[in-house]
Amino acid sequence: MATTAATTAATTAATTAVEADGAASRAAPGAAPRLRPRRPVQRALFPYLLVAPAVLYLLLITLYPGVYAIYQSFFVVQFTQWFPTGFDNYTLLWDDPDFWAALWNTFVIGGIALTLQAVIALTLAFFAYRDPLIRGWRIIFLMPMLFMPSAVAFLWKLAFSDGRVISDLLMGLGLVSANIDFLGNVWNARLMLIVADVWQWTPFLFIIFVAALQAQDKEIEEAARLDGARWGQIFFNISLPLIRPVIAVAVVLRGIDITTMFAKVFIMTQGTPGGATETISFFIYRMGFRTFDFGYASTAAALMLVFTIVVAQVLLKQFFRSGRV
Amino acid sequence: MARIELRNVRKQWGPLVGVSDVSLTIGDEEFLVLLGPSGCGKTTTMRMIAGLEQPTGGTVAIDGELMNDVDARDRDVAMVFQGYALYPNMTIYENIRFPLRMRKVPKAQHDGLVRRAAAMVDLGDYLDRKPAALSGGQRQRAALARAIVREPQVFLMDEPLSNLDAKLRTAMRVQLKHLQRQLKITTVYVTHDQIEAMTLADRIVIMDGGRIQQIGTPDQIYADPANTFVAGFIGSPPMNLIDGTLEAGVFTAPGIRVEGVHGGNGAMREVTLGIRPEDCHIGGPTAHLTGTVYGVEPTGEQTFVSLRTGRDLIEIKAHRGFRAGLDSTAQASFDLDHLYVFDRANGQRLR
Repeated sequence: MATTAATTAATTAATTAVEADGAASRAAPGAAPRLRPRRPVQRALFPYLLVAPAVLYLLLITLYPGVYAIYQSFFVVQFTQWFPTGFDNYTLLWDDPDFWAALWNTFVIGGIALTLQAVIALTLAFFAYRDPLIRGWRIIFLMPMLFMPSAVAFLWKLAFSDGRVISDLLMGLGLVSANIDFLGNVWNARLMLIVADVWQWTPFLFIIFVAALQAQDKEIEEAARLDGARWGQIFFNISLPLIRPVIAVAVVLRGIDITTMFAKVFIMTQGTPGGATETISFFIYRMGFRTFDFGYASTAAALMLVFTIVVAQVLLKQFFRSGRV
Repeated sequence: MARIELRNVRKQWGPLVGVSDVSLTIGDEEFLVLLGPSGCGKTTTMRMIAGLEQPTGGTVAIDGELMNDVDARDRDVAMVFQGYALYPNMTIYENIRFPLRMRKVPKAQHDGLVRRAAAMVDLGDYLDRKPAALSGGQRQRAALARAIVREPQVFLMDEPLSNLDAKLRTAMRVQLKHLQRQLKITTVYVTHDQIEAMTLADRIVIMDGGRIQQIGTPDQIYADPANTFVAGFIGSPPMNLIDGTLEAGVFTAPGIRVEGVHGGNGAMREVTLGIRPEDCHIGGPTAHLTGTVYGVEPTGEQTFVSLRTGRDLIEIKAHRGFRAGLDSTAQASFDLDHLYVFDRANGQRLR
């Protein structure tokens, strides 16, 4: 009742204002807008109506499969038959050395690749961001990112395979004396994945870092130059602390993406040698589509989801707290 | 201590000319103000002294040494920016210390120097705060402290007071002038505010369209303007500029007739007559001007009256008690000792 009274009062006031305004400016251009009172319920619902399509879409394509996977992780699934097993899948997974190996591989390969990407991208960004022509040539730099992941994987698979480009180059430079069998050695095989991923995704971080550096206040850079700072000193003392939140977001995004690395593993190594390059994604794929143990695969996926969320949250919080201006 | 010499300095970006042919010598310990409307090239001129902008032509020298190819960081100049340009990730203390760190001043001296600079600008107890936690005036002081902490050869100030409110601006103005006298450092100050220029400067350089219009002390600029631009730019309200004809010492324009005007050779010519509002008097012994009252603006200490003559609107500074009804007829006389005659074709002063 009070709300209605207030609304009525507001409407009256608005009407009066419109009339007064109209009187003051005699011939107002255009007619005054028609006043359409809306009920409070309508007003309250309207915002939800606007976001409803997007929310519905997200629910369908992300939440539903996610919940389905978690539900499935409590069953032993044999094609169409589901047998409830409680937490058996989880205990089995906990004791599965392959799972832990896959987790470790993902961490090692992803961690090294991500670190390299971030360092290379930041270094290149530092040298490139003051170039006035960068808008012209950065597209060349972005090309690796625009290729299909499977195409990139095949490209590097060919380059690394026995007696091809990489081995040839190294022999030509006199660094090695014989062809390298990249798949025959744990670290060589991991190196293949790391190189391919760094090649493909460094540009992603590079453009974000360049944009962040270019968005800096130019006056601050100029002030630092007049204060006697070299470009490197400006970068480490001022730019880097200021763009830290941007770096954090970009690295976390890339990190989430890298933990799900699949195409490169599938095409280049298939997890060989001896499971040394089997990432979590490939492990889940192997459990689901090679051994057809869908419940078990879903369990690994569910655990991975929780793991990723926790790590991303912790990292972001950490970066944002210390990077706060 | 430093003398700055600009010789035929030019700055062009493609076809766009920012500064054309500026020659200027700034004496040691001088407080020089570059004054002009926005886009007149004053900031560009200063940035070329700083080394933030490379001149397209001409030379910049400090203490006789050619600076064109010397990097900004090696010029030993300090600059205060309009937006303060404090480093947002550092505390005020670290901000002020930054130039000392970068210039490799021995660490043991840092604390003393920082606190001395902070005290000089009355920065108070804000050293541990980040810039975002300070008010505009405090940030301004911090930026100033950062500039003076290492006692550079040259101070450059780019509209340092324009982001402050009017009251604070007046207070900071006095303090700035005092500080500069105390430190005895050559200072170049850029502003579009004529009051700032008049009050601060040893000499003012008035620029327009990338060119120097006049160089002189504030008194010279006010009392002896070289052309209509300078005449119209200095003074508040600005000088009245009346187009008319001058023949045998008699100036005429619609509603205006002044006898005994000096300038020109007696032959009839088209001129612009300049007269400051403070040199016009309502009433007075002889009526040089007859017009209708267009507006009366009392400010308390004085009253500004606008009179409409045939074509012009003449601003007059009248006694504070003066009141008149709109559209009533009024007469005014000019102070004949303070008339300025300009050539109407090129705006230059006729003496």
